[in-house]
Amino acid sequence: METNQYMEMFLDESREHLQSLNDGLLSLENDPEDLSVLNEIFRNAHTLKGMSATMGYTKTAELTHDMENLLDMLRKEQLKVSSEIIDVIFKCVDSLQEMVENIGNGESEDLVDVSDLVRMVNAIAKGESVQQAGNEASGGAPAAAKPAAAAGMPEGCELNDTDMLVIKEAKSSGLIPYWVHVEIADTCLLKSARSYMVMNVLDELGDVIKSIPPAQDLEQEKFDHSFDVCLVTDADAKKVEDGVVAISEISGVKVTEINLEEAPKEAPAPAAASKAAAPAAAPAAKPAAKASANNAKHDKKAHVAGQSVRVDIEKLDTLMNLVGELVTNKVRLEQIGMTHRLTELTETLEQMDRVTTDLQSVVMKVRMVPVSQVFNRFPRMVRDLAKELNKDINLTIEGEDTELDRTVIDEIGDPLMHLLRNSLDHGVEHPDEREAKGKPRTGEVGLIARHEGNNVVIMVTDDGSGINADKIRNKAVEKGMISRDEADALPDADAVRLIFLPGFSTAEQITDVSGRGVGMDVVRSKIESLGGHVDVETKIDEGSVFKIKLPLTLAIIQAMLVKVQDEMYAIPLGSIDSTINITPDDIKTVQNKEVIVIRGQIIPITRLNEVLSVPKGKESTDEDDIFVVVVHVGDHKIGIVVDNLIGQQEIVIKTLGKLLSGLKMLAGATILGDGHVAMILDVSALV
Amino acid sequence: MAKEDQLVADGEVQVVAFKLRNEEYGFSILNVQEIKNLSDITRVPFAPDFIKGVVNLRGSVLPVIDLKKRLGLEDTPYTANTRIVIVQYDEVYVGMLVDAVTEVRTINADDIDTTRAITAGSDAGSKFISGIGKVDGRLIIQLNISEIMGLSGEE
Repeated sequence: METNQYMEMFLDESREHLQSLNDGLLSLENDPEDLSVLNEIFRNAHTLKGMSATMGYTKTAELTHDMENLLDMLRKEQLKVSSEIIDVIFKCVDSLQEMVENIGNGESEDLVDVSDLVRMVNAIAKGESVQQAGNEASGGAPAAAKPAAAAGMPEGCELNDTDMLVIKEAKSSGLIPYWVHVEIADTCLLKSARSYMVMNVLDELGDVIKSIPPAQDLEQEKFDHSFDVCLVTDADAKKVEDGVVAISEISGVKVTEINLEEAPKEAPAPAAASKAAAPAAAPAAKPAAKASANNAKHDKKAHVAGQSVRVDIEKLDTLMNLVGELVTNKVRLEQIGMTHRLTELTETLEQMDRVTTDLQSVVMKVRMVPVSQVFNRFPRMVRDLAKELNKDINLTIEGEDTELDRTVIDEIGDPLMHLLRNSLDHGVEHPDEREAKGKPRTGEVGLIARHEGNNVVIMVTDDGSGINADKIRNKAVEKGMISRDEADALPDADAVRLIFLPGFSTAEQITDVSGRGVGMDVVRSKIESLGGHVDVETKIDEGSVFKIKLPLTLAIIQAMLVKVQDEMYAIPLGSIDSTINITPDDIKTVQNKEVIVIRGQIIPITRLNEVLSVPKGKESTDEDDIFVVVVHVGDHKIGIVVDNLIGQQEIVIKTLGKLLSGLKMLAGATILGDGHVAMILDVSALV
Repeated sequence: MAKEDQLVADGEVQVVAFKLRNEEYGFSILNVQEIKNLSDITRVPFAPDFIKGVVNLRGSVLPVIDLKKRLGLEDTPYTANTRIVIVQYDEVYVGMLVDAVTEVRTINADDIDTTRAITAGSDAGSKFISGIGKVDGRLIIQLNISEIMGLSGEE
C-alpha cells in the first residue's frame, strides 16, 4: 500500500497520542484509582498500535501491544497501579517516541533496542515485581495473528490482521465481538445524523473497531440505507439491539456475534445485507488496511469535535506575503482612482477593501496556536526533574488556551524550559527545608499564560526561597561585572535583574539541571529577539515570579509612523508610552544630556535625526514645534524627538535579509501602503 | 575561486552586460534573476556604505548595492537608463544599481582573460573581478558576485 501519503498524518497523530499518553500517565500517577484516566490511556495506546501496524511498523506495534496488555490488566484491576509500573510505562512511551522520531527522520524503527523493555513489561504482566522483571528472560513476544476469515459478517467485508488481533484480544478478555447491521428508514432525510447517533450509542456500549462503509463516508452520507459496524463489547446482543432501535428512523437492526476460529472460508454469509455476490475471499490487503486507517481516525474523532486540516507553516507564510502584496496593490489602485477621479473604481475598491481586511485577519488568525502546544511537554519534564532532585513539586498550568503566533510558539519552548528548571533547582527548597520554614512539603510551581493588552504574558512562578539580592550583588562584584559602589547603590529590584547579564550563575555548585553560567542571559536574549521582555520579581522565602511579555504576533504589529527629515520610520505601538508636542524651551539639560519633564518625571531625550544620521531633507522643518514620542522598555523611559507624527497603522514586519542582518536599532522593515519601504525601530536599543 | 567554474563551463558563457560610467561589466546570466526600473530606495541607517538601501520587490524587502561605490568608481547621478539588476547567489537576493543594462552576450570561454596581472594594482580589482571578456573589440569585465555581496568572508 502507498504509505507515503499517510506518513505525515501517521507521524502527527502518533505524536499526539504519545503526548496524551504522557499526560494521562501523569494524572494517573497522581490519582491511581481514576479508572477513566486509565481507560483514556488504554484507548491511546490502542489507537497507536492500530496505526503503526497499518503502516507496517511492527516493532512499534509490538511494543505498544505489550504495553496495552499491561494497561489492560491495570484497567481490570488484575494488577495494582504502582509508581514502578508507571515508570516502566513511561519508559515504553519514551522508546515509542524515539521510534516514531526515527521513522520521521527516515531511519529504521529498529534503531531503538526495546528487547529489555518488552521483557520487563511481559514479566510484570505475569505478576512479577519490577525488580524481578528486570532480570527476567523474555516472556515471549506476542504471536502475530494469522489472517483468518470470520463468520458473522457481510460478504465483501474483511477484517485485517489488526482487527483480528483486537477481536481475539477482546474475546480472551471476555468481551464479545458483534457485527451490527443497521437499516435506516427510507424516509430519513438526515442519514448522516442518524448514523452518527448510532455510532454514539455503540461507542458508549463498547469499542467500535470498524464500520462499513468507513466512518468518514458515513459522515458524508456516502451510503444507501444500511451500514455495518464491528463492535466489541461486554453487553449482550439484546442490549446492543435495544440501544440502536431506540434511535428514531432506524428501521432495522441485526446483531450477529462474530466467530473467528470456526468460520470456514466458504461459509455463506448469514442474513446480513449481501447484495452483490462478491467472492468471499476478495482481495484483502488494500481496502482492509484503508478501513483500519479510517477506524483509527474514527477513534480520534470521538474525542475531538470539529474538522481541521494540517498545513505547512511555510504555505501560511507565503499566503501572508501574498495578502500583504494584495493590500499594497489595492492602495495603489486607490491612488489611481483618486488622481483620475474615477468614482466607479473607488467604489469597487471600497468593497475590495472590506474583503482584503477580512482576508488579512483570517490569515492572521490561522497562524495563531494555543500555548498548550508548548506547555504540554512540561508536566512530564517537571515530574522527572522533581524525582531526580528529590523534591516534591506540584506544577499548575493556567491559560494554556491562550493563543500566540506560530513563530513565537516555536521559539518560546527553550526559554520556558530553562526558567522552569531554574525554579525547580534553585527556587523550590528540599521538603525538609520547607518544613523547617513552616511551608508545606510540596512546592508549588506555576506556569501561567494570559492576555495583557496587545501582549501575551507568560509567568513562571514558584513559592521557593526567592532570590537574595545581596547574594546577587556580591556575585556580580566578585565577577567584576560591576563595582562595589555601583552594586550597593542598586535597589534590590534592580540588583536581582543582574542575573540576566551574560556570564552570571548563582548556583553554588553546578548541577546538570541548571547553572552552567549561560542561563538567564540566554533566556533574555531569546525573548528579546522575539520582541518580548523578561522581568523578575522576588521575595525572600516567598518565591519568585518570572514574567515574560510577548507580542501577540510577530508578523503584523500596530506601529506609529514618524517622519524624520524625508525619511519615514515605524515605532512599535507596544513600546510607546505617549506622544507630546513641545517647544525648544521645554528641553533642559542635565550633565549635558537633554531631558524633558513630563508630569514631574524627568525623561532623557534623543534626537532621531542625529542617532540615525539622517541626511537633511528638502522640506525645512519647523524648529519651534517639536514632537516627542515617549517609549519605554521595562521601567526605563526615553523621549524620541521626531519631525512629524504621521499616524498609527498596522504594519507587516519583513526581515532585512542576510546581507543586512544584525544592524543595531533596526527591528526590520515594512512596506507602506504606497509601496515605499520604511524601517522599524528597535526601541530597546535606543533606551 | 570555485565560483568561476560557473562562468567558464561548456566553452561559452552568457553574461548580462551593463555599464558603470564608461566601462562595461557583466554578471553570469545564471545569477541574474531580473532587471528592474529604478524605484525609490530607502536608506538603511548603520548599513555598510556600499549598500544604497532597500526597495520593495513585490512585497519583500530587497537590499540594493551601489555597485560603483563597491568598485571604488566615482558616483554619477541617476538617469532614465539607471536600472537595478537583481542577482541571486546562495539563496540570497540582492539588487545591483547600474547605470544602464546593454545586452545579453555570449562570450567564448577562450576570450575570457582571467589573468590577475591586469588589475593587480587596485585592491578592488583582484577581489571583485573574476575575468575580462573580449567581444568585438569591447571589454566586458566579469564580476564575482559572492565577493561583491560580501558573503564569502569578512569585510
